[in-house]
Parts: sequence; C-alpha cells; structure tokens
Amino acid sequence: MEISMIDAGIIGSYFIMLAIVAFFARKKIHGLTDYFLAGRRLTLPIFVATLVSTWYGGILGVGQYSYFSGLGNWLTQGIFYYIMALLFALFLAHKIRKSNLFTIPDQLEKFYDKKSRFLGSIFNFILVTPAPYILSLGVIFMFLFGVPKWIGIVIVLVILIGYTLYSGFYGVIYTDLLQFIFMMVGVALVVPFAIAKYGGFEFLSANLPETHLQITGGIPTQMILVWGFIAFWTFVDPGFYQRCYAAKDSKIPKKGIMISIGFWILFDICTTFTGMYAFAANKAGHISIKILENGLPQPETYMIFANSVLPPVLMGVFLIGIIATLMSTIDSFTLLGAMNISHDIYKHTFKPKATDKQVMFVTKIGIVITALFGATLALFFSGIISMWYTIGTVCISTLIVPVLGGFFIKTKKPPISGVFSMIAGAIVSTIWMLNGYNNLYYEWPVYWFDIEPMYPGILAALVVYFAIIGISKIKRNQELA
Amino acid sequence: MDVISFILIIDSVGLIIATFVLTYFFFRDILREGKEKK
Repeated sequence: MEISMIDAGIIGSYFIMLAIVAFFARKKIHGLTDYFLAGRRLTLPIFVATLVSTWYGGILGVGQYSYFSGLGNWLTQGIFYYIMALLFALFLAHKIRKSNLFTIPDQLEKFYDKKSRFLGSIFNFILVTPAPYILSLGVIFMFLFGVPKWIGIVIVLVILIGYTLYSGFYGVIYTDLLQFIFMMVGVALVVPFAIAKYGGFEFLSANLPETHLQITGGIPTQMILVWGFIAFWTFVDPGFYQRCYAAKDSKIPKKGIMISIGFWILFDICTTFTGMYAFAANKAGHISIKILENGLPQPETYMIFANSVLPPVLMGVFLIGIIATLMSTIDSFTLLGAMNISHDIYKHTFKPKATDKQVMFVTKIGIVITALFGATLALFFSGIISMWYTIGTVCISTLIVPVLGGFFIKTKKPPISGVFSMIAGAIVSTIWMLNGYNNLYYEWPVYWFDIEPMYPGILAALVVYFAIIGISKIKRNQELA
Repeated sequence: MDVISFILIIDSVGLIIATFVLTYFFFRDILREGKEKK
C-alpha cells in the first residue's frame, strides 16, 4: 500500500510527540515508586486512558476476526471481556489497591511463600512478552513503507526502549494518554466514512453472509465457550494489577474499570463494523483482501479498507491510531517484564538488601532484555508467535488458581499449595498444548477431545490446590485431637 | 438513513466526544495539582 507523504509526516510527528511527552514525564521521577507506579498517584482520567489503551493490543487480530465472523467478534473479543472486567472491578480492584504491593508475584509471596513468587515471576514474564505486538508493528511498517520487517522492528525497539527506559511508568502512562486519543479518534473515523462511501445497512446485508449479522457470527458453541474462558485472562492480567496498585486511592480502580468498559464497548462497535464493512467491500469488488491458509484474511485488512474510504490526513490519523494501539501495549508489557526481572527476581529472590538505585538500574537492563527478547521472537521465531496466545493461556491456567485462591479462600492455606498448584497447572496445560501443535490441521492445533489446554490446566491446578488445603486441614484436626 | 447507520454514527461521534471529555478532566486535574503545589 502506498501512503501519501503527508500521512508519513503525520506518523513521524507522532513519534516525535511520544519523545516530547516522555521528556516531560521524566521530570516527575524522584524514586523507585515513581519509576514503577508513578508514585501511586494515578487520577481517574489517566487511570482510564492507560487501562483502555494498554489492554487493547491485538488490533490486527480483531480486524481479521471481525472480517471472519462479523458480530461474533463482538461477542468473543468484547462482551466476555466486559463481564470479566466488571467482576474484576466489583470484587478484586479495591483489594489489590489496598494491598499496596507492586506485582502479581508480590501477591503470591504474601499469600504463600518465596518459591511461589519465583515461579509466578517466570510465568508472569512469559505472559507479558510483547513479541506478538512487536511483530504486528513490524508487519505494519513493512506494509506501509515497503521496508523489510526487521527494519520496522528495529525502529520500534529504539523508540520503545528509549522512552520507556528514560521515563519509566510515568512515561508509559502519559504517552498512553496520547496513544488513547489517537486510538479512539483514529478508529472512530472509519465507520462514518464507510457509510458515506458504500451506504448503510442495505450495503452490509446485501454483501455479508447471514451469520455475520448474528451475535454468534456462525462460530460453533464450543469455540464460543473457549473464548469466554480465555477472557478469564483478565483476572491475572499484570497490566490491570499494575494500574490498580498505582491508583491514587482504592475507589479509583473500581470506577476507572467501569468507565473503561464503556470506552471498550464504543470502540469495539467501531472495530467490529469496520471488519464487516471490509468483508462487504471485498465481496462487492471495491477492495482486494487475500485469504490465508487458516481461513482468516490478511492481517493488513483494516488498513486496506480504511485506505479505500479515508482521505489523506485522516488516513494518517487512522494509521497512528493503529500504531498507538500496539505501542501502548508494548511499552506497558516491556516495563512489566522488566519489573519481574528487577523487583521479583533480582531483589526479592537473590538480593534482598539491594538498594532502590540498584533495583532501578536492573529495571533499565530488564527493559532492554524484555524488549530484545520480544523482538528476537518476532524476528526469528514468527512461527512461535502464533503459539504465543496458547502459551499465554498456559500461564493463565498456572496463575489463576493460586492468585484468586489467595484473595478469596479464607481457610488457612499451606504455603506449598501455591507452588504445587502452579506446577500442576503448568505441566498439564503444556503437555496438552504440545500435543495439539503436534497435530496441526490447516495450521490449527488439534487437541485431545477438542479441549483447549487451559481447561485441563486449570482443573489440575484446582485439584492439587484443594487437595493440599484439605490434607493440611485433616492433619491439623488430627493434631488437635 | 437507516437505524443501524444512525447508531453507528452516534457511536463514533460519542467515542470521540467521550475521549476529549476524559482528556479535559485529565488536564483539569493536572492544573489543580499544580495550583495546590503552589
């Protein structure tokens, strides 16, 4: 796709704006809590802006899925997540803020022991690897500017490491506000222009399969349930926790998440209908979209369609919106990975007496390591990236039981229940996943009994967790008798 | 204009307005914080 010089200039000025914002954010850093959590001073508006922009990263995937399944995208990638986010807001958010900690592994040590923290840190690090989003940006740069993917990835790396390392969480949240504005405005522009150019519902209903206009999108019930289950991700999302820890008081997270849900609803309606318009425009012969071997359209679908309806300048704003959606997730995940390395592993596992200065130095090294690790995966192991979502679900099945158990199970929990439930969840879901990827069918893994690895993983973690709690209770009763 | 198109346009415009309202509140908080410091 060829973009106009003016749009390329708009994209360039966006990156300059990021640098300027980071420069001013740097001035607010006076210590480690500022670098990690912006001094726990997030007000409601910035809480919403940073949460909305960070949680939404897979914009190219959403484009593909809404093209593929129409309104089904809204159900599987939207509605389930609103429900989970609402439950998080109602039952977890204030508890997290009141705990006054820094990370999920902190929480695990508080509930269980140091071993749980260490193991949890590793899974947490895998969960926040920004590789899929770095790869998406590489694809976008290749598509827009015709440069090799590695050049796009190197450009992203330099900018990302530069401002995240320089300005820490303050830089992340203030750049997130900028990214949030571009993300919302850029994506909101497309649908009105699509209606003006191609027509309203009549155009859609004439060119879309009937299933695209049904809320299930023709997706099989089992698959819908799987997506619903994957949305449990929210309960162990490190980005959610970090923002709750950073809020100014314990009421902000609950209110902030609820307002964020409102933004996600409005945003998802735009993205879903953009995908549907892309399908209809392709069918009517207005644009040309390639279909991949796995049945999904090419990742660049959104950009191809937007280019057919938006004039220059607005197209530039839209492209920044897409890039901002990815950048806001990449910078947050990179900082979270770095905090795992410095705070959870370096300080709390190996060097408890480390000073704040030393921890901050290791965090900066951690930012480079996390970003390079993500970029290496994106550059040389792009096949693994397609597995990454499944690897993410393995991490969820490992973390979700001990984390939620810690918050909600009031019975006395033996420290080993944390680490052993994590090991059980990890082993079962990993074996399940590897078997699935050993039996690919049109690039899709085929799992035992058609069951996704997350289910048996969580089940194994639950069984082990409650078995240990039960045995310890019986032992305690016998000792008392 | 049909109902669906109308809803979609309201959704897009609403999203843009809500974004700028939130941004306004952000800057208002920053200004207040600055005044309190002074």
